[in-house]
Amino acid sequence: MAPTRTVKNKHATNGSGIRNSKSAKNPQTDNVIKAKKNQPNKSHIAATGLKGRPKISDILKKRKQRVYSAKELGIPELNKITPVGVEKPKGKKKGKIFVDDRESMTTILALVTAEKEGQIESKMIKARQMEEIREARRAEAEAKDQERKAKFDETKDQVRKKRKREKGVRDDDVNGFKSAMEEGTRAMKPKGKKKKVSFAAE
Amino acid sequence: MRPLTEPETKVVFDKLANYATDLKTLITPLDDGDRYVFRLNHSRVYYVRLSIANMATSISRDALLSLGTCLGKLTKTGKFRLHITARTTIHLPPLPTPLAFRSNQLTKKNTVPILAEHARHKVWVKENGAQPFLYGSNVVKAHVGRWSEDCPEHSGCVVYSMADVPLGFGVTARSTAEARRLDPTGIVVFRQADCGEYLRDEDTLFAG
Repeated sequence: MAPTRTVKNKHATNGSGIRNSKSAKNPQTDNVIKAKKNQPNKSHIAATGLKGRPKISDILKKRKQRVYSAKELGIPELNKITPVGVEKPKGKKKGKIFVDDRESMTTILALVTAEKEGQIESKMIKARQMEEIREARRAEAEAKDQERKAKFDETKDQVRKKRKREKGVRDDDVNGFKSAMEEGTRAMKPKGKKKKVSFAAE
Repeated sequence: MRPLTEPETKVVFDKLANYATDLKTLITPLDDGDRYVFRLNHSRVYYVRLSIANMATSISRDALLSLGTCLGKLTKTGKFRLHITARTTIHLPPLPTPLAFRSNQLTKKNTVPILAEHARHKVWVKENGAQPFLYGSNVVKAHVGRWSEDCPEHSGCVVYSMADVPLGFGVTARSTAEARRLDPTGIVVFRQADCGEYLRDEDTLFAG
């Protein structure tokens, strides 16, 4: 059993102002209260034992949540319409920028001239290449034409030779023809032996 | 009247560079310390002495009809179109106020001599071809007296008469080598502008 204490004067508690009372001398130590009182001490000890390590709550407090802007994240912009005149470019001169001084005009001129020269040069090179290709094609076509012509001539010659040969054969034939004529077929009667009618002279 | 902006200057130079090689002389300072500048009024581009341009600032934009040499006009799409305008230095609409420099600043000069001095490619047209060209037709092969060698197609060229008088300018339809094989009625140069334009399009050359 737990020891019990008798309280003689229940009003003479600690802090009541009544001196020499037991309860005033020995402050009431309740188990529960004790435990309550001891808890922070323990934690303090524990905290002192882990000296140098920051508390989690402190860390959380210290770490501020950074807010990123859309620009920082690189999120593609929405396809929104910005009314004219709402967004003004900062640090830019309003209105037109004129070119009137010689230096800037010379710069622009140099740029334009260089660009143009390049264009014309490339055009010339292209034209020359095209011309070369055309020339090559023409030469090829000419060569082909000549070849064809030569072939044609050859065939012509061959035909001629053949004809000559045939002519030779035909000469023999002509002889045969002559013999046939001499034989006296009706269709091929020699014209030299034409019938003549002569009247007897009186 | 205002100077040209950067893109406008670029467009103008780009067009001029088609026809002429050495454009630096256009903006080199003169002996008397003056120099030529480009000015824009009513979308027309003028090539004018700086001193005259400064003087012309005293005239309101509406009242100023022309000054210096009108090179051409800037279209609404931002392109530059060359014109030949044998106009005089300062032209003003008839105003009741007496203007001192109205009569004494007359200098006959048009776009062709400016470009012809430094022409990139040249085509000389025979006498029988000069009139058709000045009436606005393209140059056919039969009319060509001679042309500069090694000229690629679709490049700007200045058209001259056989007496070396610049008549206008155009764009080559064929390269020199190709044009040689062309039949006499084939187009060699597409007309861009000619001296006859000054009379033909008198009404619309400076306005509209």
